[in-house]
Amino acid sequence: MLKDLKALYIGIVVLVCAQFGLQMGFIFPTWQKNYSVTAGGNISAQLSPDQILLQLFGFREFLAGILWVRADGFFDEGNYDAILPIIKLCTTLDPKQIDIYATGMWHIGYNFTDEQQRSDRRYIASALALGKQGSRENPETYELFFETGWMWYHKIQDDAWQPVKWFQEAHRRKDILQARKNLLSHAYMRNGQIPEAMQEYFKLFDEANISAKSATKDYSSIQIRDTLENNVDTELVRMVQRGWVAEQRHDGSFETGGYDAVPPFDTGFSCRVVVTAPRVIHFEGTWNVLPVGTRIRIVMRDMDYPGAKIAELDWDGSTIVNFEPGVDQTYMQDDLYVKNRRFNHDVDMSKDPTMYPCVSKNYLLEFYYSPRIAPPHIQDKFSWNGEGMKDKNFSNEEIRGPKEFVYDPFPMASDGDKKLAPITIKSPGQRVFYTTLTLTRDQLLKLGEWTNRTPTVSTSNYKQTETNSDTEEIIKVPTLRGK
Amino acid sequence: MNVIWNIASTTVGEAIRRRVLLVILLIGVLLLSIIPALGILSARSETSITIGTMYAVLRGTSALIAIVLTIYMLPNEIERRTIYTILSKPVQRWQFLVGKYLGAVLALLLMITMMTIFMVLLFWVFQHPTAEKMAEIATQPFMYWMEMSLLAAVGMFFSTFIAPLVNFFLTIGMWLVGTVLNPLYDTLSKNGNTQPLMKGIATIVTNILPNFANYDTKNPIINPGQVIVNGALYKWTTVGYTAMYVGILLLLSIVVFDRREV
Repeated sequence: MLKDLKALYIGIVVLVCAQFGLQMGFIFPTWQKNYSVTAGGNISAQLSPDQILLQLFGFREFLAGILWVRADGFFDEGNYDAILPIIKLCTTLDPKQIDIYATGMWHIGYNFTDEQQRSDRRYIASALALGKQGSRENPETYELFFETGWMWYHKIQDDAWQPVKWFQEAHRRKDILQARKNLLSHAYMRNGQIPEAMQEYFKLFDEANISAKSATKDYSSIQIRDTLENNVDTELVRMVQRGWVAEQRHDGSFETGGYDAVPPFDTGFSCRVVVTAPRVIHFEGTWNVLPVGTRIRIVMRDMDYPGAKIAELDWDGSTIVNFEPGVDQTYMQDDLYVKNRRFNHDVDMSKDPTMYPCVSKNYLLEFYYSPRIAPPHIQDKFSWNGEGMKDKNFSNEEIRGPKEFVYDPFPMASDGDKKLAPITIKSPGQRVFYTTLTLTRDQLLKLGEWTNRTPTVSTSNYKQTETNSDTEEIIKVPTLRGK
Repeated sequence: MNVIWNIASTTVGEAIRRRVLLVILLIGVLLLSIIPALGILSARSETSITIGTMYAVLRGTSALIAIVLTIYMLPNEIERRTIYTILSKPVQRWQFLVGKYLGAVLALLLMITMMTIFMVLLFWVFQHPTAEKMAEIATQPFMYWMEMSLLAAVGMFFSTFIAPLVNFFLTIGMWLVGTVLNPLYDTLSKNGNTQPLMKGIATIVTNILPNFANYDTKNPIINPGQVIVNGALYKWTTVGYTAMYVGILLLLSIVVFDRREV
């Protein structure tokens, strides 16, 4: 029998205290920093308890892989709804699988569409949230920064400073592919930052030139250099021809130099909106611009849609991946296509009452056109900031005026513990086209006094015309010079 | 010391001869051998999935061996009455207990080493990694050995006063809870909505119960490119933590076993 039990108990107490201190003071903080699977995730907010347990018992990567294979089967079957929870689970189980984030973002952002193949843009904020989460979890690689930037650049097309931010972050990562670097210049252009775009092009061209010279049989390097050379040439010509260079001189030469963007072209917008059946809207009107590449954005949303901005939503407003957009909120975005300077377009929302519940009392119809997202041949006339575009009634220089945006860079391991300075992006203002109309719920659903009447709203300048828009007109446009 | 060593070496011999442990080891090896085929689950993360799953199998198998090995250690000696032969000699009870524990730890080292060698060979055959990568992969099983040493101490402590069947579930429960302590506490501490009281309870539980999550350091191995700060110091501190916690459990076992009628 042991005699000195007191010493034994004291020893036990000392050891308990010592291990407590060691665990609390060093082991857990270091474990959290070095070995925790999620860098910034909050798994309890995203998963049910049984799902949390699954990921904690060591088979995370394995389970994520199996689930992702299952998701692939759902893709093939077109069962898109089933994929969403799997994406959520997979990214939580294995936050390092970049492909799941990238594919998941694309899927959420692009694949949810209505019967007319219009995407349900309420999902975009969730797609971006997934990209942001993936970037936080994988800060060392460029991929998810690039993917998120691409979502902004290609799918959203608003808030042009956002792709600049994300592509800049992608460029800070050393593993970015050379061929993907060009996108930053394109993003600068869309944000109206022409000098920055050219500076980036020249920098890339110099790099590509060195790579191409040292390459013997690496034809991709040579091709990248040639592409960049072509891009630089084209942009220089555009800068001069559109009058951008003359504009910077501020000596009146822009107005008198015979540049493509002078004088501004009147787009002559007018529109009539007819509710032909419940949730079916017919748009018709005029728009004097060329048929190819002149889509006018139309938005129909609840008047009080949460987070709505002018002709867009607050895409960046979500930090969590939410797969259930509000069932009592309506947001529809589509484009009007122009033919022979007129448009006739039907928007049928009646087949998708879940996507377009129309429970709000009042609705705002927005019409919007930005030269920044126009194709180059239209920009040759309108220029980057809309200098060559005006609309007698609906030109607007206020809603997309000059702005400055500041963001904190995403820290990487190579940054160490040093605090990174915030980065400022200056977004020059632009002239856009913008106007609104309103509809009530009764009008949209043809209820009450509108049951046997046809609700019609139109812009004040709309005039009925008898011109047959199906007749093909030949528009001779040898040049877009405004003469 | 000689006494302890003799008991330990005998325990290792017994462990190697126990069929149930060999069957568990064989199942572990079989599971390891099919893992390279799972690489197809992800095109780009093949290596991550392969290594991650191999580690999970190795850890699970080792835990099962550690539990089965220790829960029967004392009850078998008592049931077969072999303990009387030992304790009738100039052997203290605490020496018997420590010897048994050391034997279990050495047996675990042997089995984990065998599985590690098999795992690294398998990985080499299917993935053709560099020697550096192979060496890196082989480091994590050392942490698992530490973890299993702690688990063996837990099993041994309970075996001093609890029947084997109950002990099996209790020890396995302790291990499962212990493996989720850090991730759960991590989640709670990052969640701004956590109540202070809840956080306080979580802090105490995380730091009082044996924390098996400390040994899960595979993240930078399966996801290269992570920057590890104080990695070596962390591992040595964890060794110290293991020594302390094993010390606590052995002292408690000694107190209980010393007062028990056999």
